[in-house]
Amino acid sequence: MSESLIKLENVWKIYQLGKIELPVLKGINLEIRKGSFVTIMGPSGSGKSTLMYLLGLLDVPTKGKIFLEGENVSGFSENELAKIRGQKIGFVFQQFNLLQNLNALENIIMPMIFQSVPELERKERAEKLLASFDMQKRAHHRPGELSGGEQQRVAIARSLSNDPEIIIADEPTGNLDSSTGKIIMEALSELHKKEKKTIIVVTHDPTIAHYSQNIIHIQDGQIIHNHFQEEKVLWEQNSHKS
Amino acid sequence: MGKINFIKEYFKIAIKSLKARRLRSWLTIIGVVIGVFLIVSLMSLSEGIKTALMQQLKMMGKDLIMIFPGEITDMATMMSGGLELTEKDMDAIKKAEGVETIVPMNYKGEAVRHEGKVKTILINGVSWKDGMDILKNDFGWSIKEGDWPVIGKKEIIVGSAVPTDVFPGMKVGDEAFISGRKFIISGVLKSLGNKQDDSTITVDLDIFKDITGEKKGAKIVLARAKQGYEIDEVIENIKSNLLETRKRVRGADSPSFSVLSSEKVMDIVGSILGMIQIAIFGFASIAIIVGGVGIMNTMYTSVRERTKEIGIMKAIGAKNSAINTIFLIESGFFGLFGGIGGMILGLGLAKAIEFAVKATGNLYLQASITPQLIIFSLGFSFLIGCIAGYLPARSASKLNPVDALRYE
Repeated sequence: MSESLIKLENVWKIYQLGKIELPVLKGINLEIRKGSFVTIMGPSGSGKSTLMYLLGLLDVPTKGKIFLEGENVSGFSENELAKIRGQKIGFVFQQFNLLQNLNALENIIMPMIFQSVPELERKERAEKLLASFDMQKRAHHRPGELSGGEQQRVAIARSLSNDPEIIIADEPTGNLDSSTGKIIMEALSELHKKEKKTIIVVTHDPTIAHYSQNIIHIQDGQIIHNHFQEEKVLWEQNSHKS
Repeated sequence: MGKINFIKEYFKIAIKSLKARRLRSWLTIIGVVIGVFLIVSLMSLSEGIKTALMQQLKMMGKDLIMIFPGEITDMATMMSGGLELTEKDMDAIKKAEGVETIVPMNYKGEAVRHEGKVKTILINGVSWKDGMDILKNDFGWSIKEGDWPVIGKKEIIVGSAVPTDVFPGMKVGDEAFISGRKFIISGVLKSLGNKQDDSTITVDLDIFKDITGEKKGAKIVLARAKQGYEIDEVIENIKSNLLETRKRVRGADSPSFSVLSSEKVMDIVGSILGMIQIAIFGFASIAIIVGGVGIMNTMYTSVRERTKEIGIMKAIGAKNSAINTIFLIESGFFGLFGGIGGMILGLGLAKAIEFAVKATGNLYLQASITPQLIIFSLGFSFLIGCIAGYLPARSASKLNPVDALRYE
């Protein structure tokens, strides 16, 4: 069995809305293993995005502990977390979230600037990444000049620029048509298989689930299923019906 | 990678961001340009005026005392020209202990005719006998062409601008008529430093009295202290003699007078000009601060507009300090570019005024463009830019990454 990469212990996230406390995550216990492909599913408002932000160290829990490679990072400062994010985690968002002032190549270079990668190496690495997604001809185009699928490929390339161990994708196919969505998921699957990246995909689209080994169902801030076989069978049954 | 290298990268990011908001960036820069333009143009011109005046005043000897009617602090009354020192006043000055010699000086506008052309020119009346040395040694007067007038002869000297601007073609040996009386031009003076003085004619005081009919009194009296006497002591002696004489003649209502050493005159002129410069600097600084408020406004708008961008940058590994630096560079840029623009325009205007004044004006003005002024204006505007950007940059860096990413 592969070693633990991220571990959540009794994690709570409670938002304070004036005098009202709104618990979004309620005592989550979860372990994600190195090199796994995990899908987090759940309806809107279930807390899956909040869970994704906690897994991506973009947010801190109200209660509970988060361990990354065995180290408790829940008490880390924003700057310490930023450093870990830059080195170990790549993000892919539903809205692509590319910087609009920069072209495709510059967007991929950007995370490397924050990690102090030397200039020549940055450019070389970014060009390689663009080429691996067949986007080299679009290197000097800004996001506004690219299609949704192209933007998402640039976003995946950007997520890989510091060669992180973990890729977290939030509804990566949500803004794409089904055939482009399939290309994107294939790309993530390739990363998992060939480069042994740990992929965490947050989605409410059940067709995405068949790419993963581990499907986590979340509802009302609690994990209700966390089983590969069970979900896989369910997904196959559903896809046969449709 | 060295610190300088990543600062360079942040510079590139900041410039791209400024370019993306071109119009707003320019408008913000113009706000700073106006302030720096005011500071640079006004400071260089006022410093130029100060330098020109002080250079003239420095030529005066330290043993020279000036006696004016009226209060030196009441410029309006003094300039109105109604006041003058009487013959009795002059006697009192002459008799004061420590006074070696006195030179009464007077001036009045009179019609002057040369080769059929008539113009009204300011005529200075100075006693050649007592005053020629003072004019030469203390006021730096020297002859460019011809010679000093011979005492007792109907000879006059003209300022350097008279043969060029007032009566073009006038030369030494020519005849000129003042109030119908004929005089010979014995010499042309070298420039005295300003066009007003260079456009005058100077005659012996006796001739002046004849021409103008002003037989008594003087508008200024210069006195030279005897060697071995302290200048302040002589000033006090003149003051007490004058006061006594005036009280005797006019009683309690005797008009006031001012007795000043050449150093004191320099102090007064210097402090007046210094105060004017402080006022100019104060107002122009307010203009730069207003520009700084403009920068702050632009930066806050920018932070709000780019909240999501900040969230993305944080997600991909930007530390708070990186976000802070990028925004500070942007605001510093507004200040610095505004400073450069304002400096170029300000120096351009100062130089243009200098040329215009030289060509047509009354003062030989040299706009003072010093490295200090340039460094100060650029440094000050950059500093204002950074200060104005500090709070917006801080608020940008403190944004919670999740809130920033969710911002629409």
